[in-house]
Amino acid sequence: MNFDEIKSEWNAEDGEKTSVSENMLKIKQARTPVDTIRNKMKHEFFYQVLVLILMAFVPYLFNFSAHSTTAYLAFYAVTCGFSAYYFFKFYRFYKNSYDMSMDSRKNILWFYYEMKLNIELYKALTYIIAFIGIAFLATLLFIEKFYVFNKIVSKLSTFYLLVNCFVTILFIGVITELWAWYYYGKHLKKVKKIVDELDSEV
Amino acid sequence: MERIETIFLSLINQHKGIIHKVSKMYMNDVEDQRDLFQEIVMQLWKAYPTFKGNSKFSTWMYRVALNTALIYFKKDNRKVDKTPLDENVDIVDVNESDAREEKLAYLYKAVQQLNPVEKALIFLFLENQSHREIAENLGISEINARVKLNRTKEKLQLIIKKNGYEF
Repeated sequence: MNFDEIKSEWNAEDGEKTSVSENMLKIKQARTPVDTIRNKMKHEFFYQVLVLILMAFVPYLFNFSAHSTTAYLAFYAVTCGFSAYYFFKFYRFYKNSYDMSMDSRKNILWFYYEMKLNIELYKALTYIIAFIGIAFLATLLFIEKFYVFNKIVSKLSTFYLLVNCFVTILFIGVITELWAWYYYGKHLKKVKKIVDELDSEV
Repeated sequence: MERIETIFLSLINQHKGIIHKVSKMYMNDVEDQRDLFQEIVMQLWKAYPTFKGNSKFSTWMYRVALNTALIYFKKDNRKVDKTPLDENVDIVDVNESDAREEKLAYLYKAVQQLNPVEKALIFLFLENQSHREIAENLGISEINARVKLNRTKEKLQLIIKKNGYEF
Protein backbone atom coordinates (compact mmCIF):
# COMPACT_ATOMS: atom_id res chain seq x y z
CA MET A 1 0.00 0.00 0.00
CA ASN A 2 1.42 3.31 -1.09
CA PHE A 3 0.43 5.94 1.46
CA ASP A 4 1.72 8.85 -0.60
CA GLU A 5 -0.49 7.80 -3.48
CA ILE A 6 -3.48 7.38 -1.17
CA LYS A 7 -2.76 10.78 0.31
CA SER A 8 -2.87 12.54 -3.04
CA GLU A 9 -6.08 10.72 -3.94
CA TRP A 10 -7.55 11.61 -0.56
CA ASN A 11 -6.74 15.27 -1.13
CA ALA A 12 -8.24 15.16 -4.61
CA GLU A 13 -11.57 13.92 -3.21
CA ASP A 14 -14.10 16.72 -3.04
CA GLY A 15 -16.51 14.99 -0.65
CA GLU A 16 -18.76 18.00 -0.72
CA LYS A 17 -22.09 16.62 -1.77
CA THR A 18 -24.26 17.90 1.05
CA SER A 19 -24.41 21.54 1.78
CA VAL A 20 -24.92 22.78 5.31
CA SER A 21 -28.27 24.46 5.66
CA GLU A 22 -29.77 26.60 8.41
CA ASN A 23 -32.10 23.74 9.39
CA MET A 24 -29.12 21.60 10.30
CA LEU A 25 -28.31 24.02 13.13
CA LYS A 26 -31.70 23.38 14.71
CA ILE A 27 -31.57 19.60 14.84
CA LYS A 28 -31.22 18.38 18.37
CA GLN A 29 -29.13 15.26 18.54
CA ALA A 30 -27.44 13.65 21.48
CA ARG A 31 -25.11 10.99 20.23
CA THR A 32 -22.05 11.72 22.29
CA PRO A 33 -21.67 10.87 25.98
CA VAL A 34 -20.87 14.56 26.56
CA ASP A 35 -24.21 15.58 25.05
CA THR A 36 -26.09 12.85 26.86
CA ILE A 37 -24.63 13.96 30.18
CA ARG A 38 -25.32 17.61 29.36
CA ASN A 39 -28.96 16.82 28.50
CA LYS A 40 -29.43 14.80 31.66
CA MET A 41 -27.92 17.60 33.75
CA LYS A 42 -30.27 20.09 32.14
CA HIS A 43 -33.33 17.92 32.82
CA GLU A 44 -32.26 17.28 36.37
CA PHE A 45 -31.74 21.00 36.93
CA PHE A 46 -35.34 21.74 35.91
CA TYR A 47 -36.74 18.90 38.05
CA GLN A 48 -34.77 20.09 41.07
CA VAL A 49 -35.90 23.69 40.64
CA LEU A 50 -39.50 22.45 40.32
CA VAL A 51 -39.15 20.33 43.48
CA LEU A 52 -37.65 23.29 45.37
CA ILE A 53 -40.56 25.51 44.32
CA LEU A 54 -43.12 22.85 45.32
CA MET A 55 -41.32 22.36 48.64
CA ALA A 56 -42.09 25.98 49.54
CA PHE A 57 -45.77 25.04 49.83
CA VAL A 58 -45.31 22.02 52.09
CA PRO A 59 -46.16 23.81 55.41
CA TYR A 60 -49.45 25.07 53.91
CA LEU A 61 -50.35 21.75 52.34
CA PHE A 62 -49.77 19.79 55.55
CA ASN A 63 -51.09 22.45 57.93
CA PHE A 64 -47.88 22.80 59.95
CA SER A 65 -48.08 24.65 63.25
CA ALA A 66 -46.27 28.00 63.58
CA HIS A 67 -43.28 26.36 65.30
CA SER A 68 -43.03 23.59 62.71
CA THR A 69 -43.34 26.12 59.87
CA THR A 70 -40.47 28.16 61.31
CA ALA A 71 -38.33 25.01 61.64
CA TYR A 72 -39.30 23.92 58.13
CA LEU A 73 -38.38 27.29 56.64
CA ALA A 74 -34.97 27.17 58.34
CA PHE A 75 -34.31 23.71 56.87
CA TYR A 76 -35.73 24.83 53.52
CA ALA A 77 -33.41 27.85 53.42
CA VAL A 78 -30.36 25.62 54.11
CA THR A 79 -31.48 23.22 51.34
CA CYS A 80 -31.91 26.14 48.91
CA GLY A 81 -28.46 27.44 49.85
CA PHE A 82 -26.73 24.12 49.16
CA SER A 83 -28.72 23.62 45.95
CA ALA A 84 -27.84 27.12 44.72
CA TYR A 85 -24.14 26.38 45.26
CA TYR A 86 -24.43 23.15 43.29
CA PHE A 87 -26.47 24.80 40.51
CA PHE A 88 -23.84 27.53 40.15
CA LYS A 89 -21.02 24.97 39.82
CA PHE A 90 -23.09 22.90 37.44
CA TYR A 91 -23.96 25.93 35.30
CA ARG A 92 -20.30 26.90 34.95
CA PHE A 93 -19.36 23.38 33.91
CA TYR A 94 -22.33 23.17 31.51
CA LYS A 95 -21.37 26.42 29.76
CA ASN A 96 -17.66 25.61 29.53
CA SER A 97 -18.30 22.13 28.17
CA TYR A 98 -19.17 23.64 24.78
CA ASP A 99 -15.61 24.71 24.17
CA MET A 100 -14.17 21.84 22.18
CA SER A 101 -11.29 23.69 20.62
CA MET A 102 -8.57 22.36 22.93
CA ASP A 103 -6.42 19.47 21.75
CA SER A 104 -8.23 16.12 21.93
CA ARG A 105 -6.48 14.82 25.03
CA LYS A 106 -6.93 18.05 26.98
CA ASN A 107 -10.51 18.39 25.85
CA ILE A 108 -11.61 14.88 26.72
CA LEU A 109 -9.58 14.81 29.93
CA TRP A 110 -11.03 18.16 31.01
CA PHE A 111 -14.53 16.90 30.48
CA TYR A 112 -13.81 13.61 32.23
CA TYR A 113 -12.41 15.16 35.41
CA GLU A 114 -14.87 18.04 35.54
CA MET A 115 -17.71 15.56 35.16
CA LYS A 116 -16.26 13.34 37.85
CA LEU A 117 -16.04 16.35 40.14
CA ASN A 118 -19.63 17.30 39.34
CA ILE A 119 -20.82 13.77 40.05
CA GLU A 120 -19.10 13.94 43.44
CA LEU A 121 -20.74 17.30 44.11
CA TYR A 122 -24.04 15.81 43.04
CA LYS A 123 -23.60 12.91 45.44
CA ALA A 124 -22.60 15.28 48.26
CA LEU A 125 -25.71 17.37 47.60
CA THR A 126 -27.91 14.26 47.68
CA TYR A 127 -26.39 13.21 51.03
CA ILE A 128 -26.81 16.71 52.47
CA ILE A 129 -30.44 16.99 51.35
CA ALA A 130 -31.23 13.49 52.62
CA PHE A 131 -29.76 14.31 56.03
CA ILE A 132 -31.51 17.68 56.15
CA GLY A 133 -34.76 15.81 55.42
CA ILE A 134 -34.15 13.28 58.19
CA ALA A 135 -33.15 16.02 60.63
CA PHE A 136 -36.31 17.93 59.80
CA LEU A 137 -38.52 14.86 60.34
CA ALA A 138 -36.91 14.32 63.75
CA THR A 139 -37.42 18.02 64.58
CA LEU A 140 -41.04 17.83 63.41
CA LEU A 141 -41.65 14.79 65.59
CA PHE A 142 -39.97 16.59 68.48
CA ILE A 143 -42.13 19.72 68.08
CA GLU A 144 -45.47 18.13 67.22
CA LYS A 145 -45.31 14.86 69.16
CA PHE A 146 -42.90 15.58 71.93
CA TYR A 147 -44.19 12.76 74.18
CA VAL A 148 -44.06 10.19 71.40
CA PHE A 149 -40.55 11.36 70.49
CA ASN A 150 -39.44 11.18 74.09
CA LYS A 151 -41.00 7.75 74.50
CA ILE A 152 -39.26 6.38 71.40
CA VAL A 153 -35.84 7.77 72.38
CA SER A 154 -36.12 6.55 76.00
CA LYS A 155 -37.21 3.07 74.92
CA LEU A 156 -34.52 2.50 72.33
CA SER A 157 -31.01 1.56 73.33
CA THR A 158 -28.02 3.62 72.11
CA PHE A 159 -26.81 0.59 70.19
CA TYR A 160 -30.13 0.25 68.36
CA LEU A 161 -30.11 3.97 67.50
CA LEU A 162 -26.55 3.73 66.18
CA VAL A 163 -27.38 0.66 64.07
CA ASN A 164 -30.42 2.48 62.74
CA CYS A 165 -28.33 5.50 61.78
CA PHE A 166 -25.76 3.26 60.11
CA VAL A 167 -28.41 1.40 58.08
CA THR A 168 -30.02 4.68 57.04
CA ILE A 169 -26.67 6.12 55.91
CA LEU A 170 -25.89 2.89 54.06
CA PHE A 171 -29.27 2.92 52.35
CA ILE A 172 -28.90 6.56 51.26
CA GLY A 173 -25.32 5.86 50.14
CA VAL A 174 -26.23 2.83 48.01
CA ILE A 175 -29.19 4.60 46.38
CA THR A 176 -27.06 7.70 45.65
CA GLU A 177 -24.15 5.72 44.21
CA LEU A 178 -26.42 3.54 42.05
CA TRP A 179 -28.37 6.53 40.80
CA ALA A 180 -25.20 8.47 39.94
CA TRP A 181 -23.76 5.43 38.14
CA TYR A 182 -26.96 4.69 36.23
CA TYR A 183 -27.51 8.32 35.31
CA TYR A 184 -23.95 9.47 34.52
CA GLY A 185 -21.37 6.78 35.24
CA LYS A 186 -21.84 4.54 32.21
CA HIS A 187 -21.43 7.51 29.84
CA LEU A 188 -18.36 8.63 31.69
CA LYS A 189 -16.87 5.17 31.24
CA LYS A 190 -17.05 5.61 27.45
CA VAL A 191 -15.19 8.92 27.73
CA LYS A 192 -12.56 7.29 29.95
CA LYS A 193 -11.90 4.64 27.30
CA ILE A 194 -10.84 7.33 24.80
CA VAL A 195 -8.66 9.04 27.43
CA ASP A 196 -6.90 5.72 28.07
CA GLU A 197 -6.33 5.15 24.35
CA LEU A 198 -4.76 8.60 23.99
CA ASP A 199 -2.70 8.14 27.14
CA SER A 200 -1.32 4.74 26.24
CA GLU A 201 2.43 5.12 25.85
CA VAL A 202 4.26 3.45 23.00
CA MET B 1 -28.25 36.54 15.48
CA GLU B 2 -29.11 35.95 11.87
CA ARG B 3 -25.84 37.56 10.79
CA ILE B 4 -23.82 35.20 12.99
CA GLU B 5 -25.71 32.28 11.47
CA THR B 6 -24.98 33.49 7.95
CA ILE B 7 -21.26 33.98 8.64
CA PHE B 8 -21.05 30.58 10.32
CA LEU B 9 -22.84 28.80 7.47
CA SER B 10 -20.63 30.43 4.89
CA LEU B 11 -17.48 29.38 6.78
CA ILE B 12 -18.79 25.85 7.26
CA ASN B 13 -19.73 25.48 3.61
CA GLN B 14 -16.22 26.54 2.60
CA HIS B 15 -14.70 23.76 4.69
CA LYS B 16 -17.44 21.14 4.76
CA GLY B 17 -15.17 18.65 3.00
CA ILE B 18 -13.36 18.18 6.34
CA ILE B 19 -16.61 17.19 8.07
CA HIS B 20 -17.55 14.83 5.23
CA LYS B 21 -14.19 13.09 5.42
CA VAL B 22 -14.29 12.80 9.22
CA SER B 23 -17.81 11.34 9.02
CA LYS B 24 -16.74 8.77 6.44
CA MET B 25 -13.67 7.85 8.48
CA TYR B 26 -15.64 7.26 11.65
CA MET B 27 -18.86 5.73 10.33
CA ASN B 28 -19.35 2.89 7.90
CA ASP B 29 -23.06 3.15 7.27
CA VAL B 30 -24.36 6.04 5.13
CA GLU B 31 -27.08 6.86 7.67
CA ASP B 32 -24.55 6.96 10.49
CA GLN B 33 -22.26 9.15 8.40
CA ARG B 34 -25.13 11.59 7.90
CA ASP B 35 -25.87 11.56 11.64
CA LEU B 36 -22.25 12.20 12.54
CA PHE B 37 -22.05 14.97 9.94
CA GLN B 38 -25.06 16.66 11.56
CA GLU B 39 -23.64 16.10 15.03
CA ILE B 40 -20.34 17.77 14.07
CA VAL B 41 -22.16 20.72 12.50
CA MET B 42 -24.23 21.05 15.69
CA GLN B 43 -21.17 20.92 17.93
CA LEU B 44 -19.41 23.49 15.76
CA TRP B 45 -22.43 25.76 15.96
CA LYS B 46 -22.67 25.39 19.76
CA ALA B 47 -18.94 25.97 20.14
CA TYR B 48 -18.81 28.84 17.61
CA PRO B 49 -19.22 31.57 20.29
CA THR B 50 -15.97 30.27 21.84
CA PHE B 51 -14.05 30.69 18.55
CA LYS B 52 -11.89 33.73 19.18
CA GLY B 53 -10.18 33.81 15.80
CA ASN B 54 -6.72 33.20 17.27
CA SER B 55 -6.24 30.35 14.84
CA LYS B 56 -7.55 29.72 11.34
CA PHE B 57 -11.21 28.65 11.16
CA SER B 58 -10.21 25.40 9.47
CA THR B 59 -7.73 24.58 12.30
CA TRP B 60 -10.41 25.17 14.91
CA MET B 61 -12.82 23.12 12.83
CA TYR B 62 -10.42 20.15 12.64
CA ARG B 63 -10.23 20.06 16.43
CA VAL B 64 -13.95 20.33 17.12
CA ALA B 65 -14.79 17.82 14.37
CA LEU B 66 -12.24 15.30 15.60
CA ASN B 67 -13.12 15.78 19.26
CA THR B 68 -16.78 15.15 18.40
CA ALA B 69 -16.01 12.08 16.28
CA LEU B 70 -13.74 10.64 18.98
CA ILE B 71 -16.55 10.48 21.51
CA TYR B 72 -19.44 9.86 19.13
CA PHE B 73 -21.34 6.63 19.61
CA LYS B 74 -24.04 5.15 17.49
CA LYS B 75 -27.37 4.62 19.24
CA ASP B 76 -27.82 1.04 18.13
CA ASN B 77 -24.45 -0.57 18.76
CA ARG B 78 -24.24 -2.07 15.30
CA LYS B 79 -21.05 -4.06 14.90
CA VAL B 80 -18.30 -3.08 12.51
CA ASP B 81 -18.73 -4.88 9.23
CA LYS B 82 -15.72 -7.15 8.87
CA THR B 83 -16.70 -8.95 5.70
CA PRO B 84 -13.98 -9.09 3.04
CA LEU B 85 -13.85 -5.87 1.09
CA ASP B 86 -14.38 -7.42 -2.31
CA GLU B 87 -17.61 -9.06 -1.14
CA ASN B 88 -19.23 -5.79 -0.29
CA VAL B 89 -21.11 -4.75 -3.38
CA ASP B 90 -22.27 -1.46 -1.87
CA ILE B 91 -18.81 0.00 -1.61
CA VAL B 92 -18.49 1.10 -5.19
CA ASP B 93 -21.35 3.21 -6.38
CA VAL B 94 -22.25 3.12 -10.08
CA ASN B 95 -21.30 6.82 -10.33
CA GLU B 96 -18.09 6.38 -8.42
CA SER B 97 -16.60 3.55 -10.35
CA ASP B 98 -13.26 5.07 -11.30
CA ALA B 99 -10.13 3.71 -9.72
CA ARG B 100 -9.57 6.62 -7.35
CA GLU B 101 -13.03 6.43 -5.86
CA GLU B 102 -12.72 2.68 -5.58
CA LYS B 103 -9.40 2.93 -3.76
CA LEU B 104 -10.79 5.47 -1.31
CA ALA B 105 -13.88 3.36 -0.75
CA TYR B 106 -11.63 0.46 0.23
CA LEU B 107 -9.64 2.74 2.47
CA TYR B 108 -12.78 4.00 4.23
CA LYS B 109 -13.93 0.42 4.63
CA ALA B 110 -10.61 -0.69 6.11
CA VAL B 111 -10.33 2.18 8.62
CA GLN B 112 -13.59 1.05 10.20
CA GLN B 113 -11.56 -1.64 11.93
CA LEU B 114 -9.32 0.89 13.65
CA ASN B 115 -10.09 2.38 17.05
CA PRO B 116 -11.17 6.07 17.32
CA VAL B 117 -7.68 7.36 18.16
CA GLU B 118 -6.10 5.39 15.29
CA LYS B 119 -8.71 6.84 12.94
CA ALA B 120 -7.79 10.34 14.11
CA LEU B 121 -4.09 9.63 13.45
CA ILE B 122 -4.74 8.38 9.92
CA PHE B 123 -7.14 11.22 9.20
CA LEU B 124 -4.64 13.91 10.24
CA PHE B 125 -1.86 12.14 8.31
CA LEU B 126 -3.98 12.06 5.15
CA GLU B 127 -4.75 15.74 5.68
CA ASN B 128 -1.00 16.39 5.20
CA GLN B 129 -0.37 17.22 8.84
CA SER B 130 3.18 16.81 10.12
CA HIS B 131 4.00 14.69 13.18
CA ARG B 132 4.24 17.87 15.21
CA GLU B 133 0.80 19.06 14.07
CA ILE B 134 -0.74 15.64 14.70
CA ALA B 135 0.78 15.67 18.19
CA GLU B 136 -0.56 19.17 18.82
CA ASN B 137 -4.06 18.30 17.66
CA LEU B 138 -4.29 15.13 19.69
CA GLY B 139 -2.42 16.45 22.72
CA ILE B 140 0.25 13.76 22.75
CA SER B 141 4.03 13.96 22.40
CA GLU B 142 5.59 14.16 18.94
CA ILE B 143 7.45 10.87 19.46
CA ASN B 144 4.26 9.21 20.60
CA ALA B 145 2.43 10.55 17.56
CA ARG B 146 5.16 9.27 15.23
CA VAL B 147 5.24 5.77 16.71
CA LYS B 148 1.47 5.51 17.01
CA LEU B 149 1.04 6.65 13.41
CA ASN B 150 3.57 4.13 12.10
CA ARG B 151 1.87 1.34 14.01
CA THR B 152 -1.53 2.43 12.73
CA LYS B 153 -0.25 2.50 9.15
CA GLU B 154 1.11 -1.03 9.56
CA LYS B 155 -2.19 -2.17 11.05
CA LEU B 156 -4.11 -0.58 8.19
CA GLN B 157 -1.88 -2.27 5.62
CA LEU B 158 -2.48 -5.61 7.30
CA ILE B 159 -6.25 -5.09 7.30
CA ILE B 160 -6.23 -4.20 3.62
CA LYS B 161 -3.98 -7.13 2.76
CA LYS B 162 -6.09 -9.53 4.86
CA ASN B 163 -9.17 -8.45 2.99
CA GLY B 164 -7.56 -9.16 -0.35
CA TYR B 165 -7.06 -5.72 -1.72
CA GLU B 166 -3.58 -4.33 -2.28
CA PHE B 167 -2.75 -0.86 -3.51
